[in-house]
Amino acid sequence: MKTALSLKVNGALAEAQVEPRTSLADCLREHLMLTGTNVGCEHGVCGACTVLIDGAPARSCITLAVACDGADVRTIEGLDDDPVAVALREAFAAEHALQCGYCTPGMLVTARDIVTRLPDADEPRVREELAGNLCRCTGYVGIVRAILRVLAERRRSQ
Amino acid sequence: MKPPKFAYEKPRTLEAAIRLLADGGDGAKLLAGGQSLGPILNFRLAQPELLVDVRTLPELSVARDEGDSVFLGATTTHSAIEDGRVPDPTRGLLPAVARTIAYRAVRNRGTLGGSLAHADPAADWVNVMALLDAEIVAQGPRGERRVRASEFVRGPLTTALAVDEIVLGVRIRKLSARARWGHYKFNRKPGEFAEAIGGFVHDPERGVARALVGAIGDAPHVVADASGLDEPRMRAAVSSAGFGPDTYEHQIHFVALKRAVARAAAA
Amino acid sequence: MTQSAGKGVGARLRRKEDERFLRGRGEYVGNLRMVGMLDVAFVRSSVAHARICAVRKPAGHEAAVFTIDDLAGVRPIVANSALKGFKSAPQHVLAKDKVRQVGEAIVMCVAPTRAEAEDIAAQVELDLEELPAVVDMVAAIKPGAPRVHDEWLDNVVLETLVDDNLSGIRARAAIKVQRRIRTARQCMSPIEGRGVVAHYDRRLNQLTVHSAAQMPHINRAGLSECLGIDQGRIRVVAPDVGGGFGYKGILLPEEVCLGWLTMKVGRPVRWLEDRFEQLTANANCREHYYDITGYADADGRLLAIDCEAIVDSGAYSSYPFSACLEAAQVGSILPGPYRMDGYRCRTWSAATNKAPILPYRGVARTGVCFALELVLDAIAREARKEPYEVRLASLVPPEAMPFVNITKKYFDSGDYPEALRRAVKALDLPKWRARQRRGEPDGRRVGVGLAIFCEQAAHGTSVYHGWGIPMVPGHEQCTARLSPDGVLELRIGAHSHGQGLETTLAQVAHEILGVDPDNVRLVHGDTALTPYSTGTWGSRCMVMSGGAVATACKEIEKRVRAIAGKLMEVAGDDLVLEAGRVRVGGTDRSMSLAEVAHVWYRAPQLLPADVDPAGLEATAGYKTKQDTGTFSYACHACAVAVDTELGTVEILDYVVVEDGGTLVNPMIVDGQVFGGAAQGIGTALYEEMPFDAQGQPLASTLADYMLPGATEVPAIRIEHMETPSPLSYFGQKGIGEGGAIAPPAAIANAVNDALADLGVEVLESPITPRRLLAAVAAARAGRGAA
Repeated sequence: MKTALSLKVNGALAEAQVEPRTSLADCLREHLMLTGTNVGCEHGVCGACTVLIDGAPARSCITLAVACDGADVRTIEGLDDDPVAVALREAFAAEHALQCGYCTPGMLVTARDIVTRLPDADEPRVREELAGNLCRCTGYVGIVRAILRVLAERRRSQ
Repeated sequence: MKPPKFAYEKPRTLEAAIRLLADGGDGAKLLAGGQSLGPILNFRLAQPELLVDVRTLPELSVARDEGDSVFLGATTTHSAIEDGRVPDPTRGLLPAVARTIAYRAVRNRGTLGGSLAHADPAADWVNVMALLDAEIVAQGPRGERRVRASEFVRGPLTTALAVDEIVLGVRIRKLSARARWGHYKFNRKPGEFAEAIGGFVHDPERGVARALVGAIGDAPHVVADASGLDEPRMRAAVSSAGFGPDTYEHQIHFVALKRAVARAAAA
Repeated sequence: MTQSAGKGVGARLRRKEDERFLRGRGEYVGNLRMVGMLDVAFVRSSVAHARICAVRKPAGHEAAVFTIDDLAGVRPIVANSALKGFKSAPQHVLAKDKVRQVGEAIVMCVAPTRAEAEDIAAQVELDLEELPAVVDMVAAIKPGAPRVHDEWLDNVVLETLVDDNLSGIRARAAIKVQRRIRTARQCMSPIEGRGVVAHYDRRLNQLTVHSAAQMPHINRAGLSECLGIDQGRIRVVAPDVGGGFGYKGILLPEEVCLGWLTMKVGRPVRWLEDRFEQLTANANCREHYYDITGYADADGRLLAIDCEAIVDSGAYSSYPFSACLEAAQVGSILPGPYRMDGYRCRTWSAATNKAPILPYRGVARTGVCFALELVLDAIAREARKEPYEVRLASLVPPEAMPFVNITKKYFDSGDYPEALRRAVKALDLPKWRARQRRGEPDGRRVGVGLAIFCEQAAHGTSVYHGWGIPMVPGHEQCTARLSPDGVLELRIGAHSHGQGLETTLAQVAHEILGVDPDNVRLVHGDTALTPYSTGTWGSRCMVMSGGAVATACKEIEKRVRAIAGKLMEVAGDDLVLEAGRVRVGGTDRSMSLAEVAHVWYRAPQLLPADVDPAGLEATAGYKTKQDTGTFSYACHACAVAVDTELGTVEILDYVVVEDGGTLVNPMIVDGQVFGGAAQGIGTALYEEMPFDAQGQPLASTLADYMLPGATEVPAIRIEHMETPSPLSYFGQKGIGEGGAIAPPAAIANAVNDALADLGVEVLESPITPRRLLAAVAAARAGRGAA
């Protein structure tokens, strides 16, 4: 019934025995004890569960773990030393871009994607790209400011 | 909610995948990116016995320029189209549409073929491929089959595919240099399901003038000869799509179409 | 006095909480892991109203499936009000005999994983005999409506009446506007759902319930009442909580069920609410109906309000706030920040076959503000005045403060007209009027709108004892302990779930003791570790917990002075507490707080003979100078563009002028206002839980129940006025809810302003494209007929 699964998670090999129906989010949270990735809706709308799969943001709640066999998965726990994430964390704290913290891991994964993929993004574009990550606390004001701040810093340093 | 139990297979070849589908019958379901199937499984609205994962089959991931057309494999992701990582035969229409599909994290895994086979009437490719008169290429135990996009979706969540057929990809004719297109999606928020999709393509060199009344809760309504489309004809098209005058739906579909036509004219 | 060095009250200090959240190390209830933990799934009613004829447990799973008959000795949840005429609706934690709403839990299934629990739940067979459902609140209170509770004679939970004789005013009012106004049912929708992990500690003989809860001490009291075990044997722990907004201010049937279950099965058990359960089964909020008439003189000055209001309370009475709080509150707060000569308001709390309501951020104020401010704009149109002009004529002026209004509310301080004037200026009204006259190149119509309100917060005993609900706030307490290493530990019974209390209360402690906020540790949300509190609700924490922390720190300060004075051989009064040290005033002689603490703990031989034996730990209680509440207020002003072809509304500018009194941390205050306003924008334009005629909730996903995203919320601008409250410790006022109150009114007024020359007036929220286009079409038809 259970399938052996082998993933690279946050740079290290991770193995788990999961049922085919197990989502990547539940695999991370319940089997690998990586609880930094939060589950908000389980239907792909809220974005709280966003992780990087092979470098690209993806919804871990609607992605089956078995379908990720062999993939390179990175979660919030694996972004401690990531330079973009370091800059984003600093900006998020400075701009009060989080309150309850529940959406924050998914928000940071998306923010990192915006900053790296769209270095010239302006405010409307940042907002458009954030459409798939819901925050119920901040009104997005601090989040948008924080991302724009990091974008500006990176443009200045290049 | 969590999905019901099912078995999972990841065949290495297309033939093996088709065999699994044929053997599995109604209980077997294809899995590509899983971005439509995932939520349905989580709600236990679909209860398959077997999922056949075709996301990494090489036959489905090709994208090639065929001269006067482009073939995009079924597992081409929305984000690959958005980013221009595959050829664009439409002078910008496909990437522009791709950018409006759900959210980036969904586009990174969601696929062209998966979306078509799922056949949600509000889905972008279901509507845009009908507008473009694209050709859906499917493969089954009886060989390859080509279906016009406008005939592929038969109704909500219903396609022309047999249970043992797999979408290989989509063939889209190239728009010529003088072609103009307009697209207008009406939804409440970026990434949300469309309430109305209007589309218009005019390619005089190819003698094509097509209009779309899309996201109508059923297979898209295409006006195959849309040259000289004026407002009365647009209203007639919306009525033909099933929305009586003086209804909310008539209004939003009419406006979406009108704005798509205006965008094409301004392009 | 102490010096704050930029870290005390008023500092934009970064949050202490952020570090763990930014690294994915928040400890939410879903993150708890216990050996042998089982998962629970509930079988819930698929119909709104039915008799339960039979429940068949699946063969082979009997030991994992529980109904109310199995829960022997478990008592129903009872949240009564002592108000005269209130009808009680006890709620069994699993349905007994009848179900009264879609989603009501009937059967509890337990298995090693949630998926397996759901597999079992799917096999449970229910035999339900469907009964007519009561879905619409207006129809519900009419004679002859089917009844939600068989033992009641009607569906009225409570009726209230405030009645002045308005006949004189009616006769002399030059302007009379009557409107029927409705607000949709909503879901508060924190991104984290509810969740419970329960286990039994055999050594302590104690049930521990970890729950995503705003009011853990209240939950403990309720668990004790339902489970019949004394409160000492129950510990409720609210860990990190992913947003509350009122949704988690409730004793859950699921908490009671899991408390019973863990004692039954002898293993830890867990239930995590999923989004489907949240949207379709659990508490909703905000559904109001107003038949409201405003009377004004020819200049638009408000003379009186006459209103009949109904609030859809749903099927049960939620613990502790009860099914009547919201409607009864309508009667007392409808006059808002205005003076008027007469007032009459009758309210009904209507029982329906829908999820019970809970007080959501702003509680009744959002609906009340919507109704009243739409009426004021209608009066302005009649008087041919700018909307701000008629408001200026009726707002309570600063020279009248403190002011007791027509419903006996005590407005503590402030300059309401100034907030309005500043908002109008910040928005630049003339600019928008000019743009309006020019017209938009894309054919849309621009409009401006504003709304002003006052927010009673942190109100206490005198306000709540009259309700007679299971919770009356009294003194708020804090236990402060200066540890041997000089770290200050603060224990409070309220809970912080985004409000940043770990930071702001550290700032308060710094203000009193000079201790560095980094050396302050807040312990909250655990009944075993904290003093009793009614918890986090009513925008009360910064006033009440802040006051409690300050009071406890004052006590610690006194004791530190006594010890340090002895050690440094000066009078305690000659000492200055700053930067974590105790310094002899006018000298550079000092010792650190850690050194003082060291003497108490490790070198008591050095203590003064008359040292306070309570040492460096103090529990202090706090109440405001009078407990009628602080009154923060704000004016929201916005400009919108309305697309009359598609019925969409874009917010072009949004300004908030807010008076929160003394701001403890302006950055955090701004965050509360931004977040509240975003929720208010959701109320105004997007969020709605519709039901069909059979009582089926029609929004079961976040694709149907639409929460505003980053593209729907503009870059809101905030200006602060800071009129200190004379009632609170530092002059701070509660502001946590205010942001969510005014946006529906301000936005609707802007839409109506944009469409005024078409004769369109929207009177229902949310203003969806469907509603807006219907209003446009109706106005066209009306003009065609005229």
